[in-house]
Amino acid sequence: MNTVIIPILRSAISIMTPLLLAAMGGLFTELSGMLNIALEGLMLMGAFSTIVFAYSTGSLLQGVVLGVLSTMLLATLFALVTLKLKANVFITGLATNLFASGLTVVLSYRLFGNKGVVVFDNIAALPRISIPLIRSIPILGDLLSGHHVFVYISWVLLILVGFSLYRTPFGFRLRAAGLHEKTLISLGLKPDRYRFIAFLISGAACALAGAILTLNLGAFVPNITSGKGWIALVVIFLGQKRPFGLFVAALIFGFADAFSNYAQGAWNIPADVILTIPYLFTLVAMVVFSIYTNRRSRVE
Amino acid sequence: MGSRSLQREFSRPTVLRSAIGPLIIAALALGALVILALLLSETPGRTLRYFFLGPVQNTYYAGNMINTAIPLIFGGLGISLAMRAGSFNLGGEGQLYGGAFVTTISAIALGSWGLAGAVLSLIFGALTGGVLAGFSGFLRKQWNTNELISSFLLSNVVVLLVSYLIAGPFQDPETNLIATRRIAESFRLMRILEPSNLSSAVYFALLAVVLVHLYLYRMKSGYELRMVGLNPMFARYGGIRVSWYRIWSMFLSGALYGLGGGFAIFGTYYASVREFSTGMGWNGLAVALIARFQPVAVIPAALFFAYIESGARSAMLHSDVTFEIASIVQAVVFFLVTSSLLQRLGTKRRSV
Repeated sequence: MNTVIIPILRSAISIMTPLLLAAMGGLFTELSGMLNIALEGLMLMGAFSTIVFAYSTGSLLQGVVLGVLSTMLLATLFALVTLKLKANVFITGLATNLFASGLTVVLSYRLFGNKGVVVFDNIAALPRISIPLIRSIPILGDLLSGHHVFVYISWVLLILVGFSLYRTPFGFRLRAAGLHEKTLISLGLKPDRYRFIAFLISGAACALAGAILTLNLGAFVPNITSGKGWIALVVIFLGQKRPFGLFVAALIFGFADAFSNYAQGAWNIPADVILTIPYLFTLVAMVVFSIYTNRRSRVE
Repeated sequence: MGSRSLQREFSRPTVLRSAIGPLIIAALALGALVILALLLSETPGRTLRYFFLGPVQNTYYAGNMINTAIPLIFGGLGISLAMRAGSFNLGGEGQLYGGAFVTTISAIALGSWGLAGAVLSLIFGALTGGVLAGFSGFLRKQWNTNELISSFLLSNVVVLLVSYLIAGPFQDPETNLIATRRIAESFRLMRILEPSNLSSAVYFALLAVVLVHLYLYRMKSGYELRMVGLNPMFARYGGIRVSWYRIWSMFLSGALYGLGGGFAIFGTYYASVREFSTGMGWNGLAVALIARFQPVAVIPAALFFAYIESGARSAMLHSDVTFEIASIVQAVVFFLVTSSLLQRLGTKRRSV
C-alpha cells in the first residue's frame, strides 16, 4: 500500500508546484477584476526564455531572473493593450497565448534551426533540498523532504501572497479594484494601476511555473505547458480565490495527474485516454463545486 | 463575465463606419508582419513577396486559400450564435474534431445508402458537436457552471479520445497515415477549381451564412436569442425562456462546428486524419471576433484569416521563415480587435 500511495502523493506535490505558482499569479489578476486566461501563454514564455537564458549564461539563477523579466515584458504588453487600448481582457488573453506559442516556435527556429524538441545538455539539474528534522520522520519525510527548490519557494510565496493580499493596504486596494472600483476612485486611487501591477505579478509567477517545466526536463518542447495554464485558472476558481484554497485545489489536481501517470504504467492504458483524466477530473470537480455553491446561494 | 460587455462593444455598426476599425487592424497586423520579416528573415523581400502574393498567385493557391476559409466560416457562425445569446463556447476544437470523426465513421457505415447516407452522416456530425456544446449550456442553466471553462475542458477530453479512436480501433491498417478508412467516392463533394482543393462545400458554407443571418434577424426564435444576450433580465420579464436559450444557443454553436468538421471530411480530407483540425476551432473564434458576431461579416473575416495562413505557408515554402509567424500576426489581430479606442475611430461622433 505505502509503496503505491506515497510515491503518488510525493509526485503529486511535485506536479502541483507549477499549477500553484501560476494560480497564485492569476489570483492577483482575478481579484483585481480581470479574467486572466493568458496564464498558459505566460507560462510558455517563461518556460522558453528561462531555459534559453540559462543555456546562454550558463547559470540557472541568471536564467530564471532573465526569464522572469522577459515574461513580465509580455505581461506588460498584455496589460497595456487591455488597460490603455481598452480591449476586452478575454480576447487579449487569447492573443497573448497565441503570441507566446507563435513566438517561442519562431525564436526556437531562428536560434536553433529547429522547431521541434530542443535539448540543452549543459543545463544543471534543479537543486534538491533535504529538510533537516522532517526528513527523518518516516512517512512525512518521504513526502515533504528532498523536492527541488521551486517546491519550497512556492510554499514560501504562498504565505507572502496571503499576507500581501489580506494584510497590507496594497492588497486591500487591489481587491477593491475587483470588488468595487468606485470606492478606489473616490479615494483618489486608480484601479487600473493596481490591475497593471497584478498583470506584472501574474507574469512573474507564471515565468517561475514555466521555468520548472523546462529546467526539470533540460529541454524545450513546443507547447510544453499543454493546458497547465488553463488548469491553473480552474484551480483559482476551485480554490474559491483564497490562498489556502489554491493550495488544496492544486494538490487535488496534482494527485489526479500523478495517479494517471501511475495508472498508465501499471495498467497499460493508451496514453491519449490517460491524458483525458486531468481534464475530466477538473470538469467533474468544477461541476460538483458549482452544484455546492448553487445550493448554498439558494438557501441564503 | 465579459460576454455582455462584448455584446455592447459590438452593437449596431453602420456599414461604412464599422469597416474603418477592422481595416486599421488589418493594416496594423500586416505592418507587424513586415517588421517580423525584417527581423527574422535573411531575405525579407522574398519572404514578404511570397507572403502577400503567394496566396493569390494562381488558381491552385487561391482555391486552397478559399478552401481553408470554409471551416472557419462554420466556426465563426457557431461562435457568433453563442455570443449573441451571451454564452461563451470555447470548445470548438473538440466539437469540430468530434463532428468530423462521427461524420466519417457514419459515412463509412452508411456507405451504400447514397445521398440519404451522406445527409445523415452530416446530421450525426452536427449533433455530436451540438450535444457537446449543449452539455456546457445545460450545466450553466442547471448549476450556473461557467460554460467558458466547462466547454474548454470537455473539448480537450474529446480531442484526446477522438485521437485515441483514430489511432486505435478505427485506424485504417492499409495507410501509413494515422487515419481512419476513407469515405466512399460517391460521398465526396465535387472539386470546383482544379487543381486546387476547393470543393462545393463552399456553397454550403455560404448557405449556412444566409440561414444563420435569416434565423437571427428574421425569425422570432433568433430575436429571442439576441434578447437573452442583450439583457437576460428584460428577456425574462418579456416572457422569453432564458434558461432554455442557454442550452439552445450552445447547441446551435456546437452543431455548426460539427457541420464544419463534416464538410471538411466530405470536401477535403475524405478520412479523419489524427489532429487534422488542430487550430480550426480557435481560428473560428478569431473570425467571429473580427466579424463582430455579424453572420455576413464572417465571410470576409474568414478569408482574411485564411489569407494570413496561406501567406505564411507560402513564405515558409519559398523563403526562410517558419509557418508559426502566422500565429504572431493573428495574435496582433486579437490584441487589437476589441480595442474600444480603435473602434471609436470609426464611430467618432456618437457620444459613448
